[in-house]
Amino acid sequence: MDPTAALWVVIVIVGALNYASRLSFIAFFARRRIPAPLARAFRYVPAAMLTALIVPMIAAAPHAAADAVPSAHALAAIAPRVAGAAAAIAVAWRTHGTLPTLVAGMGVMWIVQAIIGAVA
Amino acid sequence: MVPACLGLAPFGVVCGVGAAAAGASWWSALGLSAIVFSGAAQILTVELLAAGAPVAVIVLTCFVAGLRFLMYSAAMAPLLRPLPARAQQGLAFLLTDQVFAAAVRRFDRGGDPHAAARHFFGSGVALWLFWQATNLAGFFAGNLIPASWSLDFAVPLCFVALVVPQFRSRNAIVAAVVAGVAVLALAWLPMRLNLIVAGTLGIVAGTVADLATARRGAR
Repeated sequence: MDPTAALWVVIVIVGALNYASRLSFIAFFARRRIPAPLARAFRYVPAAMLTALIVPMIAAAPHAAADAVPSAHALAAIAPRVAGAAAAIAVAWRTHGTLPTLVAGMGVMWIVQAIIGAVA
Repeated sequence: MVPACLGLAPFGVVCGVGAAAAGASWWSALGLSAIVFSGAAQILTVELLAAGAPVAVIVLTCFVAGLRFLMYSAAMAPLLRPLPARAQQGLAFLLTDQVFAAAVRRFDRGGDPHAAARHFFGSGVALWLFWQATNLAGFFAGNLIPASWSLDFAVPLCFVALVVPQFRSRNAIVAAVVAGVAVLALAWLPMRLNLIVAGTLGIVAGTVADLATARRGAR
């Protein structure tokens, strides 16, 4: 399929599915009780899905860094992100805010990046 | 809502950059951000599209990543019950991760549900407009940002801000650790299928831990 057509098919289907998911319990199931086992499983959807999204983004070395650093130094390539993520988790635990989390994570990532750059 | 908006600016820009890198036209990029209106789904879509994944895989991956909206919808349902159906349908479209987090805190404080709903609607529309603006900015001007800034790192950080408050519950930590280890261990799976499998394993682990806790409590 032509990439533009494929993208629009995805936009329509994913858009509809997303809206259906967002509307589901608010509209269709509002008068019904959620079965207890399902409600139990629902509670763990955000923790599991968001973590599954986050971890590869932290563990994957950015392309620029991966090119600059030989594979033996893969650790040096992901160290700034791991340090940034650790700082972000600590700040998010205390503040629950997106902006402070972002500032802490990006800040520590840049500092560690600069230190590794200076040493290498 | 304003700080949440500012925090999402780099995320929106990264989504716009991703759409441009995947070869989308500006109006399909805008269609993606305006209709799908979910950063996670947008990032997955443009990544998988650029990798040549079939439409069915893209749709399935986005659907599984979007399962959390079912949970948000279930949590919002009792709060929105006093409102007319038309209002519920409008608010449902605006139910993103950030709006959900803000809305639940607001409804929790009690008071007039209609006033809380107006606040939900106002912040939702503001976020939607802001999201389109940042996506377009990323699409057109993203290449001006130096790669050394690693702006893409803002995306996992936005999710960290959402997921960490969940960790007050030990079972949620179990779900997260299992999902996080599994997504790395299964990274060899094609077409990001590791995301679906790891997410499911995490949900199962959290649920099993929850059942064990409940049983211990009942004894």
